[in-house]
Amino acid sequence: MKSTLRAVASALALALVCGAASAAYPERPITFVVPWGAGGGTDTTARYFAAAMEKELGQPVNVVNRTGGSGVVGHSAIAQAPADGYTIGMITVEITMMHWQGLTELNPTSYTPLALVNADPAGFTVKADSPYKSVKEVLDHARANPGKLKASGTGQGGIWHLALAGLMNDTKLPQTAIPWVPSNGAAPAMQDLAAGGVDIVTCSLPEARALIDAGKAKPLAVMDTKPSALFPNVPTMKQAAGSDWTVSAWRGIAGPKGLPRDVEQKLVATIKKVWDSKEFKDFATSKGYGMDWAAQADFVAYMAKGDRSMGEVMKALGLAK
Amino acid sequence: MEPLLAAFALVFEPKTLWVMLGASLFGLFVGAVPGLTATMATALLVPVTFFMPPITAVAAIVTATAMAIFSGDVPGCLLRMPGTPASAAYTDEAYAMARKGQAELALGAGLVFSAIGGLFGTAVLIVSAPALADFALRFSSFEYFWLVLLGLTCAIVITSERPLKGIVALLLGLLVACVGLGNPAGHPRFTFGSTELMGGIGMIPMMIGMFAVSEILRYAADSGKRFDVDEQPIGNVFRGMWALAVKYPKQILRGSALGTLVGALPGAGADIAAWMSYAISKKTSTEPEKFGTGHVEGIVESGAANNSALAGAWIPALVFGIPGDSITAIVIGVLYMKNMNPGPTLFTQNPQNIYAVYLLFILANLIMIPLGFLCIRVAKKILKVPREILMPVILLFCIVGTFAINNTVFDVGVMLVAGVIAWILEENGFPVAPAILGVVLGTMLEENFITSMIKSDGSLAAFFSRPVAATLGALTLAAWFLPPAIRRLKRAAGA
Amino acid sequence: MKLNDAVIGAILVVLGLAVVVHVQGFPRIPGQTVGPGLFPGLIAAGLAVCGALLIASGIRHRAAQPWFVAGAWSRTVRGVASVAAVIVAIAAYVLLGDALGFVVVAPAILVGLFVVFGVRPLHAAGLAVVASLVIWYVFYKLLRVPLPWGVLKNHAF
Repeated sequence: MKSTLRAVASALALALVCGAASAAYPERPITFVVPWGAGGGTDTTARYFAAAMEKELGQPVNVVNRTGGSGVVGHSAIAQAPADGYTIGMITVEITMMHWQGLTELNPTSYTPLALVNADPAGFTVKADSPYKSVKEVLDHARANPGKLKASGTGQGGIWHLALAGLMNDTKLPQTAIPWVPSNGAAPAMQDLAAGGVDIVTCSLPEARALIDAGKAKPLAVMDTKPSALFPNVPTMKQAAGSDWTVSAWRGIAGPKGLPRDVEQKLVATIKKVWDSKEFKDFATSKGYGMDWAAQADFVAYMAKGDRSMGEVMKALGLAK
Repeated sequence: MEPLLAAFALVFEPKTLWVMLGASLFGLFVGAVPGLTATMATALLVPVTFFMPPITAVAAIVTATAMAIFSGDVPGCLLRMPGTPASAAYTDEAYAMARKGQAELALGAGLVFSAIGGLFGTAVLIVSAPALADFALRFSSFEYFWLVLLGLTCAIVITSERPLKGIVALLLGLLVACVGLGNPAGHPRFTFGSTELMGGIGMIPMMIGMFAVSEILRYAADSGKRFDVDEQPIGNVFRGMWALAVKYPKQILRGSALGTLVGALPGAGADIAAWMSYAISKKTSTEPEKFGTGHVEGIVESGAANNSALAGAWIPALVFGIPGDSITAIVIGVLYMKNMNPGPTLFTQNPQNIYAVYLLFILANLIMIPLGFLCIRVAKKILKVPREILMPVILLFCIVGTFAINNTVFDVGVMLVAGVIAWILEENGFPVAPAILGVVLGTMLEENFITSMIKSDGSLAAFFSRPVAATLGALTLAAWFLPPAIRRLKRAAGA
Repeated sequence: MKLNDAVIGAILVVLGLAVVVHVQGFPRIPGQTVGPGLFPGLIAAGLAVCGALLIASGIRHRAAQPWFVAGAWSRTVRGVASVAAVIVAIAAYVLLGDALGFVVVAPAILVGLFVVFGVRPLHAAGLAVVASLVIWYVFYKLLRVPLPWGVLKNHAF
C-alpha cells in the first residue's frame, strides 16, 4: 500500500511541474456548456462543434449539459464562468427572450459573442387532412372564429409561441384569436397535431419533418425571407399571407464577457474553419439545419435586432415585465 | 428474402459484434451505478457513433440500453439502491429477497424475464409496428391525463399497508415536481430567486438520495449490527427460471404486453411500465399478502415490462420519428445523422436496414443472458466486501453519479436533503417509492390537465369526449370506486 | 428517530397551509383557464388534510407512541459520529468540491468515512486514494464528466 502511495505522490508532483511549463492558449481542456438536454438539436450541434474544435485546438473540448429553467441555468453558467477562454458555450435565441420576462438579468450583451452558426426559421404546419390550403385561409378562419383554432410548438412564451404571436401581431389579428397550448418541445406538439389535439404547429420545418414525410402533417409556410432548403416548395410567409414577419431559432457560440482578444480571435478562426468544412455542411444537410454565419460584430447586430423584435412581441402578448 | 440476408451480413460483421460486446459491458456498468441511467448511456454514446456505420451505431445504442435497464436491478437487489428509475418499482421486493438469501433468484428472474420481455417487445415491433404506432399517435393530452392518473393510482395500490402514509409520500413528490419554471404557465414557482431552482428538482438526484443515501445513513446509524445473508445455494439457476416461467406464464405475457404498449406511447417509458405492472401483479395475485416480503411474482412481471417498454419505444420512433421515451429521442437524432430517416419510407426503401435493427434487438436480448449472469456473479462478490469499505465508496459513486446528470453540485445538495428526509420518513413508516413516482408523474399530470383545459375551452366534459380518453377515464374511475363499492355490497350481503 | 404521527401531521399542516397561502400570489396567465397556482394549491391542501388525519391518529395512539424517541444510534458516540460523518461528507463535497477539486476532496471524504466506520487509518488512506483515482479515471477520462479541478486547475492532467 505504501508503495502505491509513493507512486501516486510522485505522479502528482510530475503533473504539477509539467502543467506549469507550457503557455499558448489552449493549454488545458475547454468546457463547452450547452443549456439544453443531451440528444436535442442544440446538443447535437454543440457536440459536433466540440468534437471538431478539439481536433483543431489539440485540447479536449468537453460538452457539459446544464439544463433546466427554460435555458436560464445554462446561459447563466456560461456568463458567470471565468473569462479565460476555458469555458465557452452555445447560446440560443432564448437569450433575447428571457430577460424581457424578468427571469434573468442576462441579455445578449452579457457575453463575448463569437459566432452564429445555425438558424432555423419557424414553420407553419397543419394536419395532413386539414381543410386549409394556405396560411391566409387559416388566419381568415381564426379572424372569423376567434379562439377556435389552437396552436402549439413550445412552452408558454417559448420561441415558437412568439413566432405565432408575432405573425398575429403583424397581420392585425388579436392575440386571443389562436390560443397557445404549451408543450414540452416540438416533438410532443407534432404528436399532438397528429392526434388531433391542436390545429397548428409553428416549430421549424426540420423538427416537423418526420411527420410531414410520414404524410401526417403538411407545411403551409416558412417564416423567413427565403424558402427552406429542406422543403423548397413551401412558400415564405410573405407569399403565403403577405406578412413580412420572420423569426428563427438560432444557435451561436459565445464566451463570458471580457474574453482576452487573442483567445477570441483564435476561437472565431477555429469555429469558422469548422463551419466552412464539407463535413459540417453534410451534417447540417442530413439534419435539415439552416446554415447561417455571423461572427463577432455581425453576431452582435443580429442578436440586437432579434432582441428588439422579441421585446415587441412579448409586450403585445403581455409576457414582458 | 434478399434484404433479410443483407441484414444478416450487416449485423454479423466482426466490427458490429465487437461494438455490441463493448456496448454491453458499458451498459452493464452504467446501469449498475446509481445516477447513471440508460438515457445517459445513450447520450454518452452519441459522439462515439459519429464515427460508426449506421447499423453499428444503432447496435451500440440498442445493446447498451437493454443491458443498462437490466443491470439497474443489481444494486437495487443487493443494496436497495436502484441503479435506474426503471428498477425503483420493485427494489424493495428484490432487496427483501436478497435478505432471505435469494439474491440469485431475484436477479436471475430479473434477467431472464427482462430478456423475454425484450424479445416480446421486439416481436411486436416486427409484426405490428405501423399499426401500433398509428394507435399511439391517437393519444392526445386528454388520454395522457387519464394514463398518468392511472399510474398514480398504482402508487397507492403498492403501499396498501398504510395508505394514508403512502398518499402523504405521493403528495410530497407531486409538490416537489411543482418547483421551477417547467410548468405550463412558464411561471417560476417556489424558486425563491435561485437560478438553480428554476430548473426544478431533478428526479434522479431525488431517487439517489431517497434510496441510496438514506440506506447509507441507515447503515451508519446501525453500525455495529451486521447485514446477515443466509447463503442458500439455489443450484441450477436456469432450472429455477423454468419453474418460474411455468408458474407465472400469465404474468410474463401481461407484463410484456403492457410494457410494449406503455413504451410505444410517447412520453411514457420503462419506469412507468414497471410501476404499472408491479401494481397490476399485486392487485391480481392470488397471494397479494406476500408482496413486499420478498416474493418473486411482481419482479417477474415488472422485469418483463421495463425491458419490453424499451423495444416498444422504438415503434413510434421508427415509424413517425416521434420518440417513445427519452432514449429514442436521442436515437432519432442519430438515425437522421446516419441517413436512416425515420418514417414509413424506412420500411419500404431500405428494408435490409430495418431487418438489421430487428436482428440487433433479438441478438442484444439473447447475449444479455450470459453476460447478465456473469454480471450477477461479479456483483454477488460485492456483498462479500466489508460494509465499512463498501458504503463510503458507494457514497462517492452516488456523489459523482448525481453530479454527472447536470454537472452541478446543486444536485448533490438535493441528493443530501432528499436522503435525510427519506431516512426520517422511513423510520416513521412512510414509504419512499410513491414520492419518486410523484416526481416522475407530477409534471405530466399538470401539463396534460392544463393543455386539455385550453383545448376544450375550459370544459371538463372533453375529458370523456374522445373514445380512448373515455375508456381510460372509465378504467381509472373504476379502479378508484369499484373496490370500495364491492366491499360495501359484500358487507351488505353478509349482514 | 421516531416521531408521533401527530408531530409529523402538524409539520405537514404547516407546510400545506404555507404553500396554499404562497400560491395566492401567483399570476393568472392570459389564455389559460387555470393559473400556475392551482396544482400546487390542490396538492398542498391534500397534504394539510392528510396532516390533520395524522394528528388525529397520533393523538388516538398517544399511549403507544411517545412524541419523540431518539434512535438508538444517538446514544453512542460512534453512532452519532457515523451519521454526522455521512452528512458532513456530502455537504463538504457540495461546499468545497468546486473550490478544492475532486482529486483533493474525494480522498479526504473517503478517509474520513473509512476511519469513522472503523477501518484502520493506514489501510483507509491507501484505499481512499486508490478508490478515488479509479472513480476519477472512469468518470473523468472514460465518461468525460467534468469533475472539478479546483486548486489543481493549472495542473490538469
